[in-house]
Amino acid sequence: MSTMELSFKLNGRALTLNVAPDTLMVDLLREDLGLTGTKAGCREGECGACTILVDGTPMNSCLMPALKVQGREITTIEGLEKADGSLEVLQEAFMGEGASQCGFCTPGMILTATALLKQNPDPDEGEIRQALSGVLCRCTGYRKIVQAVKAAAKARA
Amino acid sequence: MQDKMQDKNKTQVLTKARTGLEHLIKTAGKSLTVAGTSVARRDDPLKVTGKLKYGADYPDEGFLYGKILRSPHPHALIKSINTKKAKELEGVVAVLTAEDVPGRNGFGAIIPDQPVICGDKVRFIGDGVALVAAESEKIAHEALKLIEGDYEPLPALFDPRDAMAEGAPKIHESGNLLSDDKMVKGDVDAGFAEADVILERTYQVPFLEHAYLEPDTTMARLQPDGVMLVEGPMQAPFTTRRNVAPVLGIPINQVRVRQIHMGGGFGGKEDSPIDIGCRAAVLAWHTGRPVKISLEREEITIQTAKRHPMIMELKVGAKKDGTLTAFQGVIYDEQGAYASLGPKIPPAGGSHVHAMVMMPGPYEIPNVKVDAYLVYTNHPYGGAMRGFGAPQVHIAHEQMMDELAAELGISAVDIRRKNAFKLGSATATGQVLNQSVGLRETLEACAERFDWDRRLAECGWVDQAKTKRRGVGVAMGWYRTSIGTNGDGCGAAVHVHEDGSVLLYSGITEMGQGAFTVLPQICAEELGIEPGDVRIVQPDTDLVPESGPTVGSRSTTLMGNAIILAARQVKESLLDTASMMLMVPTERLEARGRKIYDRENPGKSLGFAAVAARTMASGKRMIGQGWWTPPPPSLDGHTGQGSPYHVYTYSTHMVQLVVDVETGEVALEDYVAAFDVGKAINPKALEGQIEGGVAMGLGYALMEEVVLDHGVTQNPSLQGYLIPTMLDVPDIQPLILEVPNEMGPYGAKGIGEMPNIPATPAILNAIAHASGGRVSRLPADPEKVFWAIREAGGPPQA
Amino acid sequence: MALPFEKLHWYSKLEVADYLVPTSLPQALDMLAAHGGRARVIAGGTDVIPELRSRKLAVSALVDVSRLPDMNAIESDGADILIGGGVTHAQAAASPLIQDKAGLLATGCGWVGSPQIRNVATLAGNLVSGQPAADASVPLLALDAEVTIASAEGLRVVPLSEFFQGVGKTVLDSSREILTSIRFKALGAKQGSAYLRLGKRKAMTLPMLVCAVVATAGQDGRSIQSAAIALGPVAPVPFRERSAEQFVAGKPATPETLAQAAETATAQCTPRDSLLRGSCDYRTEMVKVFVRRGLAAALTQAGCTIG
Repeated sequence: MSTMELSFKLNGRALTLNVAPDTLMVDLLREDLGLTGTKAGCREGECGACTILVDGTPMNSCLMPALKVQGREITTIEGLEKADGSLEVLQEAFMGEGASQCGFCTPGMILTATALLKQNPDPDEGEIRQALSGVLCRCTGYRKIVQAVKAAAKARA
Repeated sequence: MQDKMQDKNKTQVLTKARTGLEHLIKTAGKSLTVAGTSVARRDDPLKVTGKLKYGADYPDEGFLYGKILRSPHPHALIKSINTKKAKELEGVVAVLTAEDVPGRNGFGAIIPDQPVICGDKVRFIGDGVALVAAESEKIAHEALKLIEGDYEPLPALFDPRDAMAEGAPKIHESGNLLSDDKMVKGDVDAGFAEADVILERTYQVPFLEHAYLEPDTTMARLQPDGVMLVEGPMQAPFTTRRNVAPVLGIPINQVRVRQIHMGGGFGGKEDSPIDIGCRAAVLAWHTGRPVKISLEREEITIQTAKRHPMIMELKVGAKKDGTLTAFQGVIYDEQGAYASLGPKIPPAGGSHVHAMVMMPGPYEIPNVKVDAYLVYTNHPYGGAMRGFGAPQVHIAHEQMMDELAAELGISAVDIRRKNAFKLGSATATGQVLNQSVGLRETLEACAERFDWDRRLAECGWVDQAKTKRRGVGVAMGWYRTSIGTNGDGCGAAVHVHEDGSVLLYSGITEMGQGAFTVLPQICAEELGIEPGDVRIVQPDTDLVPESGPTVGSRSTTLMGNAIILAARQVKESLLDTASMMLMVPTERLEARGRKIYDRENPGKSLGFAAVAARTMASGKRMIGQGWWTPPPPSLDGHTGQGSPYHVYTYSTHMVQLVVDVETGEVALEDYVAAFDVGKAINPKALEGQIEGGVAMGLGYALMEEVVLDHGVTQNPSLQGYLIPTMLDVPDIQPLILEVPNEMGPYGAKGIGEMPNIPATPAILNAIAHASGGRVSRLPADPEKVFWAIREAGGPPQA
Repeated sequence: MALPFEKLHWYSKLEVADYLVPTSLPQALDMLAAHGGRARVIAGGTDVIPELRSRKLAVSALVDVSRLPDMNAIESDGADILIGGGVTHAQAAASPLIQDKAGLLATGCGWVGSPQIRNVATLAGNLVSGQPAADASVPLLALDAEVTIASAEGLRVVPLSEFFQGVGKTVLDSSREILTSIRFKALGAKQGSAYLRLGKRKAMTLPMLVCAVVATAGQDGRSIQSAAIALGPVAPVPFRERSAEQFVAGKPATPETLAQAAETATAQCTPRDSLLRGSCDYRTEMVKVFVRRGLAAALTQAGCTIG
């Protein structure tokens, strides 16, 4: 099978790759680029563990053909860490509130919350839950995740 | 004469060893520095940056991909499995059938009755009939398609009562009734005769799926030294090892099993890693190359262990004032195709016996009779799922308590007040609860925080149109710490280094519950240093002492005690050194805050590191090892009387919700859950267990069910198997109470499973209160609630 | 009967030889034509990718229409609203125009999948999926929408009442045709709408029943001039409940009228017994509840007093 050229920005860096036409973003990230922070939980868009930001908007990478992101800016969990190694406010808040247990949903939750706070810097509980309703968590019961997003919103204010 | 005396002494020595006071290592009530605080989880920075590696994140260059061909029949004889075409496919390295299993063709957490590769018959849809290893996942998948299986279908059994019936086709040669257990206390007939009211109810619960977010995966490879290494997410490295070894036909010490951080387990990863671990090991054995097997979400639902379905028939008698006089129960416990974690490990291990023991609930009942049947069927099999038989029976007894209360016209809280365990109560097995019984305290604390009386008074219609009605519900629960087997021991090792840093060796696995944070806290507390000074080694059977599995809410307590003993052993050596350095008797020395000092003269102190360095330089002991076993369990095989588990955790939950009585939809509004945990070693982590457990119990109540039709799983993916989302789970208020366990580290007892247990019946009770509809067959999805309301003749009018 | 291989063994990587991203409609149609029926349009991909993964669908190429120009707008066109074939559910749900002038559609779009899915899945894709309870399809059917379909032969306009043919089947052939726009009349001053949905959990779930209503209040403010009632899944396709609609036309807006309309609605409905999504009996009962509630909500929004 022939490959096609894909150019996009990944976590701030411009990339050009040759990919097979049927490559899915989740596999491109995890297998070809070694960025395993994006997880595959269900492979059918039903759990949100594979969430990435495409031009700042949360989408399921398990349902996204890689060639769809031509020219787009992709952010994965690895892209949140700042150049000096310090963490984003949301990442600190997740740690502070104890919002991660097994951690598998954490990248998806943090990225989705990142997009939420950019668009709505002071969301109420209902808005937080609605925005994050596409990421499943089996460990936490969601309470500390909601508290972490609230804490991050407050810290950024 | 002398011989007799010697014999007498011998007997005394033996008994002393098993019932002696070494169980009491007396740490409850100690003034603590680092245990009891919400120390941050040490792996959090890796989680929030995506750097934590789960099994599937490990590089797999050089690995072959293993896949399993599954039986398309629920029950059939295998006439032939033709692998010729599959073997010829380019890139296929091995195609294995039953005769290729080098050792024992059977695995299982308790009884190895599940074939690694089925040879003569298949017993459920998803049973493994062939294994393939190929250069790529795609080729492995194509190879599976080329294997031709020829079967002779047999009549299949899908209901435990049918499977128990005379003349039912045998699923296993030993017969379909895997276990028939009884619990008899007092005289139920006399008890019913005394009763003013007797209610009979049947409750039925389905198969549930753990739905951990991280799919199962395993990697097996033969090390250059001939040792088979199996790695992956797993809750039970030692159980995995003791299965892989005989399957390969090699001694246990030729197998090495290493746990990789799990993305959730909930009991499911207690035996799914045995399944794929044995299979990957067999493929690695044959090919001489590393093999990785990963399961897709649907394959996990179809193939791996589930929560046991049960049909529970209850008959309970009570006096007018709510005092229970008799409890009679029958459990049809559906084991499914293989034994997994169901059957009895004497005296009280295995999920079935546990369910039997728990069935009457945390109440003083003088007369009890329970018959519990564990039955094979041609369905996926029941294993361990957070509660191990207790969630199911709580759904029965907590609903029954509410139904009795309604029948008697007394409140749901009062009937529980009337009968709930207190210090000194005897359980249905005749066990006297002689310490750490905080059940009633949880009821009162929960009622107060929830403001039960006020909320109860404010229940009723929410809208003028009378379509939505608000109700409240309560449920209590109890859950053991430890697993009720004679072999429930736990070992730990603590290695102190010359710079004061410490390595902690423990076989307890991290799955998000916080073990890797809590256990170092306990070690640090005992040594008088900071948790950050203690690194817990990744569980590896080559390195860590036998610990038993990370199940049964046993980890903090059993491993915590073992760690304390290990720390004490090395601490004795360190204090001895410090005593010499400070010229102070060891009895006066205290280790705290990275210092060792004279209690009577705190200014006279040394740094922990300095003492460690000197101890090392003196050639003295720098390591400690500890082994802890709970007091020996007992449970009579005929009467079910004894003390099966040494201590229990207690809980009360209260919930407020609204039912749309026209559609049956349920929306939770408020939730309070109170727990007596003995001692919270890490309160924030413990809150997390509570909040997550309640969400899981909510799922059981309202939406979770593996739907099977003639043995075929109808909803294997997460689109069909629904777990609660952020919009389904309300804000949950956890309340932590501490009634110290004198046999637990600093008073602690277990918490992992307790939270999800009362949640389900609390919600069911609230639904009944709000709408009049009692759902006795789970889940209480909108349709079931709708019909239940209809059956009740409509919602309450007021 | 042995269970088929695909129901027991999953392989998540896809097998598609070509992924094409046209930048104009004619280019897109040429690409489809070149593959002679073995290629398929992909927009957001949230239906196509799962079908490819489960091997329900096999294609030689995917033609990604998400970059086609002039397909991403939501705009007024006289009394109509025009939605481009590339508009996502998230855009539609957030659009002030649709919230104001086609509220049921904004609500419906807000229920599709999850926020992640809504950010990429299109209303056009929702229609083309041909699912009887699709959350954009059912409101659009109640709105009497029509769609423009482009193919090598040109453009054709198809009213939604003629668009759906069966479960998963529509008049649009995804191997040669592209849905370029959706058009319907914006709700007027005396009109209101409602979209109701019954699910087993509160997010990210396929519905047991959906009901979309557009109601027009009578001049007197206490009667029903007309109503459009669309339901799913009560038939193999999204379903207009004509008998209930005929019943309410011109009737006084009373609880009795609504209850009677609800009863009438069940006469034509044939929901299946589904092991996963509810029995026929229950869903029929819910049709009654939803038609009644939907009419009440839509009429109230239309300024009608229900007395």
